[in-house]
Amino acid sequence: MTSSLPTDYWGRISYLLSKYGSSFLQGAGKTLVIALVGTFFGCLIGFLVGIVQTIPIAKNDPPLKKILLRFVRIILSIYVEVFRGTPMMVQAMFIYFGAMQYLNLHMGMWTAAFVIVSINTGAYMAETVRGGVLSVDIGQTEGARAIGMTHFQTMLYVVFPQALRNIIPQIGNNLIINIKDSSVLSVIGTIELFYVAKQNAGTYYWYFEAMSIAMAIYLVMTFVCSRLLRWWERKLDGPANYDLATTDSLAYTSGMVSFPGSADDMFNEHSRDADREGKQ
Amino acid sequence: MNEANAENILEIRHLSKAFGSNVVLRDIDFKVNKGDVISIIGASGSGKSTLLRCTNLLELPTSGEILFHGKNILNRSFNASTYRAQVGMVFQSFNLFNNMTVLENCVVGQVHVLKKNKQDADQTARKYLERVGMLPYINAKPRQISGGQKQRVAIARALAMDPEVLLFDEPTSALDPEMVGEVLQVMKSLASDGMTMLVVTHEMAFARDVSTFVAFMKDGVLWEQGAPKELFSCPKRPETKEFLSRFLNA
Repeated sequence: MTSSLPTDYWGRISYLLSKYGSSFLQGAGKTLVIALVGTFFGCLIGFLVGIVQTIPIAKNDPPLKKILLRFVRIILSIYVEVFRGTPMMVQAMFIYFGAMQYLNLHMGMWTAAFVIVSINTGAYMAETVRGGVLSVDIGQTEGARAIGMTHFQTMLYVVFPQALRNIIPQIGNNLIINIKDSSVLSVIGTIELFYVAKQNAGTYYWYFEAMSIAMAIYLVMTFVCSRLLRWWERKLDGPANYDLATTDSLAYTSGMVSFPGSADDMFNEHSRDADREGKQ
Repeated sequence: MNEANAENILEIRHLSKAFGSNVVLRDIDFKVNKGDVISIIGASGSGKSTLLRCTNLLELPTSGEILFHGKNILNRSFNASTYRAQVGMVFQSFNLFNNMTVLENCVVGQVHVLKKNKQDADQTARKYLERVGMLPYINAKPRQISGGQKQRVAIARALAMDPEVLLFDEPTSALDPEMVGEVLQVMKSLASDGMTMLVVTHEMAFARDVSTFVAFMKDGVLWEQGAPKELFSCPKRPETKEFLSRFLNA
């Protein structure tokens, strides 16, 4: 049996792919789901923590609100510091086995993965969101307050959409980090891409080949995700031009409007002229 | 301040404001009646903008009272958001919402603060955008239009809330000279339609020709107030005289 196994690099790769291709793909799928769900809930946690951290305390607020807010903020700061300041691999075992031993809570593979990645991402996102909110010009808040919006409405309709736009690159970063770092969940037995690769590598001692496949799959996943996020960014920015809502053709001379076809025509005109000059 | 029987909208009593130990407003008293167009003039740093920002509760006064239809808005029980919805504000730096189009800027407050339905809000927004000559630009984002256009949209946004009084915080100070005219034109037409306005401005011509009432501020003190003709032609205080002579001879 063993003698029929391929001995060269590409031969082993194609052997692994033909025999375990589907389990690699399943592992990759699980990695992606863990990263996406973890990033999503992590962002949600980050947004909530970020909102609380940026609620302004006014001098004439009731004392109870002030005390409560300060207390909650201390708790949240501890959360951020602890989960940002310790490795996710350690957190994974800490939470998974801690829950099992002392809370008698047997988390399933999925639950454990989602909880750990979400909590970890949330700690990073909290700071990112806080920075994103602070990066929005104070004038935007004043404009919103001046037409009677409450703090909540101001945040929801004016500040947050702009903060979100500013932190999308950071969300993308977190997603990519999560795609890669979910590999540490193999220590609690989560069967994701790295786990699958390691298992298959161990079967034949083909570590280099199995990890080559895992590398390639990780790279494809992160690359596709980063491109998709870029596309989302551009979509949020909206079109560079706008259409005038008028039938008055004089208005089009203002020059800031996408005049149908004008840029192309002009370019073609020039290139035609250039062609002609070239021939003469 | 025109007729004695005019309806009083705002009354400011003994208003003071300090940032730490820096006192910027000292014991300000004045009234805004329906239909008034009040210009507040004075050098930079005299406290004009702070007075306006206190009037809209963007700054909290240190002491004093601001009465809106006789009710003190500085009471803790008073709902600042409801008040602000009735008092429009136009900023020096426009403060249009960058994440929204021109039309959305004028709709969002009506829908979420005044709880109007989308169609009504849309119609109202278009009406006021047409009034300031910005109707063709409803699909533009703030970054795509000029300063003067932004300020006209900001005025439309404030008008769309159907406010009782409009506050202007140096609305033309951030504009290139050739754009000042288009904004002042809109303000003039509002004034002639009887809109109650409180305008902090460096445009002396506007203060003299359009406003019904002028107040002069220096070092956080309201030195003199009166009809524009009197204040500009024969100011009573030496401080006013000095300020005006610098401006009018320039």
